[in-house]
Amino acid sequence: MLYQLALRNIWRNRRRTLLTLSAMIISSALLILALGVFSGMLRDMLATATEQYYGHLVISAKGYQDDRDMFRHFQSDESIGTVLEQEDVLGYSQRLRSFGLLSRQQNSSPAEILGILPLQEQTVTSLHESLIDGNYLTTEDPNGAVLGSGLARRLNVVPGDQLVFVTQAADGSIGNDLLLVKGIFSTGDIGHDNSLALVPLAWLQQVLVLPGQVHEIAVKIDQPFNAASLAEKYRVDLHETLEILDWGEMLPEMAEVVASYDVSRMIIVTILYIATGLGILNTFFMAVMERTRELGVLMALGMRPGQIRVMILLETTIMGSLGLVCGAVVGIALSLYMALVGVDLSGTLTPITYAGGTILPRLHAVIEPGNILIPSVCLLIVSLLAGFLPANRAAKMQPVVAIREE
Amino acid sequence: MALIELKSVTKIYPLGNQEVVAVDDFSLSIEAGEFSVFAGPSGSGKTTLLNMIGCLDQPTRGEIWLEGQEIGHADQKMLSELRLRNIGFIFQSYNLIPVLTAAENAEFTLMLQRVDKRERRERVTDLFSLLGLDGLENRKPSDLSGGQQQRVAIARAMASEPTVVLADEPTASLDSHASEELLALMQRLNQEQGATFIFSSHDPLVISHGKRVVRLHDGHLESDQ
Ligand SMILES: Nc1ncnc2c1ncn2[C@@H]1O[C@H](COP(=O)(O)OP(=O)(O)OP(=O)(O)O)[C@@H](O)[C@H]1O
Ligand SMILES: [Mg+2]
Repeated sequence: MLYQLALRNIWRNRRRTLLTLSAMIISSALLILALGVFSGMLRDMLATATEQYYGHLVISAKGYQDDRDMFRHFQSDESIGTVLEQEDVLGYSQRLRSFGLLSRQQNSSPAEILGILPLQEQTVTSLHESLIDGNYLTTEDPNGAVLGSGLARRLNVVPGDQLVFVTQAADGSIGNDLLLVKGIFSTGDIGHDNSLALVPLAWLQQVLVLPGQVHEIAVKIDQPFNAASLAEKYRVDLHETLEILDWGEMLPEMAEVVASYDVSRMIIVTILYIATGLGILNTFFMAVMERTRELGVLMALGMRPGQIRVMILLETTIMGSLGLVCGAVVGIALSLYMALVGVDLSGTLTPITYAGGTILPRLHAVIEPGNILIPSVCLLIVSLLAGFLPANRAAKMQPVVAIREE
Repeated sequence: MALIELKSVTKIYPLGNQEVVAVDDFSLSIEAGEFSVFAGPSGSGKTTLLNMIGCLDQPTRGEIWLEGQEIGHADQKMLSELRLRNIGFIFQSYNLIPVLTAAENAEFTLMLQRVDKRERRERVTDLFSLLGLDGLENRKPSDLSGGQQQRVAIARAMASEPTVVLADEPTASLDSHASEELLALMQRLNQEQGATFIFSSHDPLVISHGKRVVRLHDGHLESDQ
């Protein structure tokens, strides 16, 4: 009965109810969309860093990632244990790294050379999808090279050109050999576009005189945000001379950006909902105050203050739930649109490299439960709180005084 | 013991720094089945007395007994319960609940008392036909005339068969024809169903319908016939 009465009371002032509802719906829908886009940006950032270069986890000799000392190499065999067979692992890539000079005729440039097995590398990074010219390495290439676009420009090379690579080899000699440019990639990440080149693993092992050796194994997993706990889990399995790092340890700034997201999300939600909440509170208060006499009559008829309170709280809860459901539906619909279609801003913005990742010039939402649940739950809490004050006020009314009210 | 017993009841309202004595050392007893009217000029304390008998307000001093129970010093919860079980109110300005239909309004106290649906319908149908409201069950109060609304209010007050029906100037918002009709209905309910009525008025025509006329002046009992 209280429920019916509450429902009818909500509909007695249709325009006000609809206005309040639309305020709730718009604020929560836009919030869900904004958080979705924000999350999308964060994912892009993380993805550019891990999927274009680092991988989510990296196994290497202890200390290698701190100084990238050529001599901290290892033989990738049973010392890695069962890490690479775990079901969370989507792919892995054995790599040997060298820093040296690339040159062609009078042009030369320092470069980071990554010796890889093409088929393995493609399971970890997506550089093969970022080619702007030529082709990716194949297993048959004895000395092919794929270069970042900035590096290619500086060396003034196109696919088909020859390059000389010079560096110090592990035996103390000067290693050098010829490379054939196969393709050019462009990721938007200036650091890598300007300095990175991929070459066959066997070729680099021969140049560095490190047969059968690698510097790291980059691993891709299916839940990037679980990287830290997975690294912890796999660590026990490794040989004692090796270590496993997650992306958060390789990219501490990125880890901070991601960690601060939860805080920023709560701040945004709080600010928006304080504003929305005050609006709702005002409406609910008005709705109660203008019914003072009627509430007095209900009490005179024998309704208990507790029942009055429940009735008002029901009204606000019904409103809140309606707003929540509609807001979530609209918010998810908008987010879905932004997830499937998105908005391309590459005409007006250039990529921004930040904290080791790249913010791509696009608005692209991802659907994460937290981005929908948090605004929804907060809206419900806000409307309950906004209902609590007027409900209490109503329950405390003196029926004689209330009835005399005009 | 009488149905209602007021013993030296005094009600003082604070008004700024002063005090207003609305009812002053007032004693009265009312038997079951009476049809009494509180008569008196504006400000004489009629509403205050009815509110106290109706458990909406409490005396500053003195005792009020309702069916052998002292209600002058009951707590809020008790008062709610007393209003629900023992009191039927009819207000000057009808005060029907606008979101409920005529029948739902009449059923309201029965719903609060958790009387089952069939019995509620039965009682309301009986009352509606007695009050000449047949066919208006599903109208909203805003679609009824003043006289019809006040008759629905009578149905609401009578539905739970309260100990006493209190009506504060029930005809003040009605024209003389509707007033006559309403008073006749109240009299009929009093005679046929034995319901106890106390109403107030300052209109001599209305007062003349009372079987017992209690005249008030400045919170004092002036006469009782
Ligand atoms: N809540 C209150 N606060 C202060 N004074 C009050 C209050 N209620 C009533 N009074 C005063 O008590 C006195 C009696 O008022 P009451 O309403 O009982 O008279 P009444 O006979 O019903 O008058 P009316 O015919 O105008 O309805 C009046 O002087 C009134 O001003
Ligand atoms: Mg009065």
